[in-house]
Amino acid sequence: MGWIMGGLETEAYDRSYSDKELVRRIAHYFRPYARQMALVALTLTLNSAAGTGGPILISRGIDMVSERPTVEAMLLLAAGVLLLGIASWVFNYIRQWFGAKVVGNVVLDLRKDVFDATIRHDLSFYDEHPSGKIVSRVTSDTQDFAQVVTLVMSLFSEVLLVVILTVWLLTVNPWLTFLVICMTPLAAGIALAFRRIARRVALLARQVTAKINAQIQESISGIVVAKSFRQERAIYDTFAANNQQSYRVGLRRGMTLISIFPIMGTASGLGMALLVYAGGLAARDGGMSPGNWYLFMQAVGYYWWPMMSIASFWSQFQDGLSAAERAFALIDAEPKVAQTGSEPVGRLQGGISFRDLAFSYTGAEMVLDGFSLEIKPKETLALVGHTGAGKSSIARLVTRFYEFQRGELLVDGRDIRSLDLGQYRRQIGLVPQEPFLFSGTVRDNIRYGHPEATDAETLQAATQISHGDWLGDLPKGLDTDVGERGANLSMGQRQLVALARVLLKDPSIFVLDEATASVDPFTEMQIQEGLETVMSDRTAIIIAHRLSTVKNADRIVVIDHGRIIEEGTHLGLLAAGGHYAELYNTYFRHQSLEYVERFAEEQA
Amino acid sequence: MSKREFRLENEYRYNRSGALRWIIAHLVRYPLFPLVTLAAFVVSSYLRSYIQMYIGQAFDLITTPGWAASALLALALSVLGASLGGGLAGLLGDYANEFLAQRMERDGRDELYASLLGKSQTFHGRQRIGDIMARATNDVRMLNAMVSPGLRMIMDSGLSLVMPVLLISRLDVRLLLVPGIFIVLLVITVYQHTRRLQPVSIAMREAFGVMNAGLAEAITGVEVVKGNAQEASEGAKFARNAGLFRDHFVKQGAIQARYWPMLVYTVCRAAGFLHALLLWRAGELTLGQVVAFVGLMGALQFPTAMSVFTFNLVSLGVASAGRILALINTETELDENPRGVTQPIRGEVRFEHVSFGYDGQPVLKDISFVAQPGETIAIVGQTGSGKTTLTRLINRIFDASSGRVLVDGVDVREWSMESLRSQVSFIEQDVFLFSRTLRENIAFGVAEATQEQIKRAAEEAQAAEFIASFPQGYDTVVGERGVTLSGGQRQRIAIARAFLTDPRILVLDDSTSAIDSATEDQIQRAMRRISRERTTFIITHRLSQIRWADRILVLKRGELVDQGTHEELLARCEDYQRVFARYD
Repeated sequence: MGWIMGGLETEAYDRSYSDKELVRRIAHYFRPYARQMALVALTLTLNSAAGTGGPILISRGIDMVSERPTVEAMLLLAAGVLLLGIASWVFNYIRQWFGAKVVGNVVLDLRKDVFDATIRHDLSFYDEHPSGKIVSRVTSDTQDFAQVVTLVMSLFSEVLLVVILTVWLLTVNPWLTFLVICMTPLAAGIALAFRRIARRVALLARQVTAKINAQIQESISGIVVAKSFRQERAIYDTFAANNQQSYRVGLRRGMTLISIFPIMGTASGLGMALLVYAGGLAARDGGMSPGNWYLFMQAVGYYWWPMMSIASFWSQFQDGLSAAERAFALIDAEPKVAQTGSEPVGRLQGGISFRDLAFSYTGAEMVLDGFSLEIKPKETLALVGHTGAGKSSIARLVTRFYEFQRGELLVDGRDIRSLDLGQYRRQIGLVPQEPFLFSGTVRDNIRYGHPEATDAETLQAATQISHGDWLGDLPKGLDTDVGERGANLSMGQRQLVALARVLLKDPSIFVLDEATASVDPFTEMQIQEGLETVMSDRTAIIIAHRLSTVKNADRIVVIDHGRIIEEGTHLGLLAAGGHYAELYNTYFRHQSLEYVERFAEEQA
Repeated sequence: MSKREFRLENEYRYNRSGALRWIIAHLVRYPLFPLVTLAAFVVSSYLRSYIQMYIGQAFDLITTPGWAASALLALALSVLGASLGGGLAGLLGDYANEFLAQRMERDGRDELYASLLGKSQTFHGRQRIGDIMARATNDVRMLNAMVSPGLRMIMDSGLSLVMPVLLISRLDVRLLLVPGIFIVLLVITVYQHTRRLQPVSIAMREAFGVMNAGLAEAITGVEVVKGNAQEASEGAKFARNAGLFRDHFVKQGAIQARYWPMLVYTVCRAAGFLHALLLWRAGELTLGQVVAFVGLMGALQFPTAMSVFTFNLVSLGVASAGRILALINTETELDENPRGVTQPIRGEVRFEHVSFGYDGQPVLKDISFVAQPGETIAIVGQTGSGKTTLTRLINRIFDASSGRVLVDGVDVREWSMESLRSQVSFIEQDVFLFSRTLRENIAFGVAEATQEQIKRAAEEAQAAEFIASFPQGYDTVVGERGVTLSGGQRQRIAIARAFLTDPRILVLDDSTSAIDSATEDQIQRAMRRISRERTTFIITHRLSQIRWADRILVLKRGELVDQGTHEELLARCEDYQRVFARYD
């Protein structure tokens, strides 16, 4: 099915499945619902048969009553038409209802599988793939797939009807039937040619729409600037030109797309005219009954509409199949972090050793190579260095978010790969650079890593951070709704929540990637106090950006190009005047009180 | 204005009458197009329906003994002619309708955009950009879709119901009995079907939204999920949401499957057939007319199947129109006061017992202070303590609820807004740059600025150095299609802009953080230069700026807890002491 992917954006884990493989995978999801599917298939067939029966009965009936015009015959005929109609409606009802059940369940199963596969992946996967795209694979792609299944069922029903009708027509008059069938390629040809043109204009229209939307977005975002400098007119003129262009392209697109219906209708009229004449001659010279002549008139419509449906839904069908393909590709992608064992992990001492370890994100460029580092239990270790030196990698290996390629990583002397991952991570407390909050209350968020905690325990943890001062700044204290991704809280407050979360979880190892974003001095003070509480009495690994952190660390390790180039305490390293002193001048000097005072003096 | 109008989720709540009138006004702006559309569709529908009459006639012809092939050929050509004519008329109608649809979109967007540009900053300050964008993109598109295919399909299926029935009456007026009953029943059942379906469809869409949002959260926060070993609970949460969506999906499927209008049609077709046969038996009709009748009844099937879809599109369009209208109609509460005080500002700013709040929430409580011309005032306090709001009272982005704000001794409400705002400049927290060149961004609003002036402003703002580092220098385009500037760089561009416009009062909302000391030095220098010789309010996280300000206002939860110089505050303000104490 590789041909389907042409022009679509692909991801690294995408793979092309053979048609056979794809069908097998799809069938696998339908298997649990085989009995319901059988019912759907049965009612679908019966529905098509009843649908074909209608016109046949009418044409036969017309012949019949024209020979014997009794009221009974007419009543019988009308009753037959009624019964067939009702049967067709009922079969269709059952088919659609059970179809919806099956599709709903299949999509649910598929979604669960895709989600489980996604969440199993380590962070290297999430680095490579934007979260928006992953989300759309789990929800939108599976939805597209569902639509296609529903579509295929409807189309199948229509096509089946045509097949049954064709068989019947062949027994009535093979030559006329042949004539009807000959029209099918014409319909298909028109539909395909149209599809190609439609695709092109639709693409152009999408681009123009994107352009004007981007322009509106920009001018609304910058409206304050535009207004305070009184540039409304200039901005409006740009907009008006874009809007006019969008109008023209949209008009072209709309006119193209709309043309198909009248064109197809006219073409089907041509077929009808042909049949009126040829059928009439067949009736005169071949002895075909007038009722059968009428049956052919009705048949034309049945042949044209399925072709039109196929034409108009073809691209949707393609998209749906490639959506399924994308979902399977996500399920099949292999996670890179692999545990070799699942040894139980109790309370840890918190000693960590990197031994001759090699690590690379991509497999090409080594971030750490021959890296060794011993971290003692309850030590506070600050990692400093330029961006890209490998600080984050060290922290992320400890949290076991990534797989390393060579060497050893030991926790309390045990191989990190041999541990039960879930239990190990319960011993880790992590605060990322931008703390992430889930929608819900502050309380929910503090409890996130330790859902069994009582309200009292939660409150206690919150109060331990900066004496609980910060709770007073929240409108409803612990019950404050944090909003989507914590939007109701300031960046500093989110960090405080994250610290309380760690404190409640009470891990053996604390990993902090210090925020670089600035926070108001009052909240900053609360964070510093909170940090001290969290760091006491456990191993702490900190990617340091703040002067106070490096000052208070037991040991500072200077990382450069994945190697340790210096280690020691703040004062010791500063006095040595080496790499650390240089880093200090670059990154930390302006946070010092001397700096603050110097500027005040210059001002004076 | 309350925030109620801007909620996006409630797609089905709208002011129908107002929106409808607005839509009609748009439609009649180009009277030719709707008229041509309608006329063309009448012709097209009539001709297409008439094909069934020809078939009936052909049936009568071929059942007459000794008929001539030439007569049949004439009828076959009539069928061809009718279908060609119907197709052409249909195409004409479709094109006219398409013009209308695209103009609806274009004009709607234009109207909305123009009104947005005319709105006050109060409006834009409160309005979420996402909301505005949703209206400017999706809703404007829905206006288009409402006309094409919405309006087109309504006309098309309406006429596809009317024309066959009209022709049936020409066969025999008595034949109208069954189609008449059918149309009544159709209206009733379609209405009921829509009513049953709508709540389920809404619930389904909401369930999808919940599932999507929950998933997006888990994926974005995957580091925290994994770090806390909560994969299983997130999986269960997702399965629950996805299951809920499945339930609604199946429910919707069941309702859609039970489409009563189709059953009504089926019954009526059989009844009509019987009726026609009985009339034929009584000698009132020819068998060919019965055939024509059956064909005309058959033509009613398509509009029956499509009617629900059609109404859905139109009601969505009306809803969109309502939302666009709500935005356009939002009033601005502030008065421009064009005849107010117009004079050069010296720079004294005085707050007298100023309180301010919105949506019932007090934001500032009883604030009083004076800033002398040329002073630099630092405002410190926690996020959410009201710092930004306080400065926005100076140039009347908001008006005080009680108390007075005076500039040069004149209440800001007495000033001409034009005069006031042109002399009070803001450098926002998140500096916005347009996707244009750096030169145009610096000279924004000062079209007559020379290259020399722009360069000097950039130098004063410590921006010249990094601008020179770009290969295209001042012609470097910023934004999506150009280079991305850091917060500190954007801020210095804004400072350069302020050097060019030279305001008397400047508000610097500064929360950018420099990662390295060299950048910090440059930002500090730029800020100090720009704050000279003008009254400057600095909202800042930087201790150094707080330190060198002439005076410091300490805000806490909307109250001014203290004000004074660094030394004074260090001596008496506890909150202030705690911050600086950590640096010893």
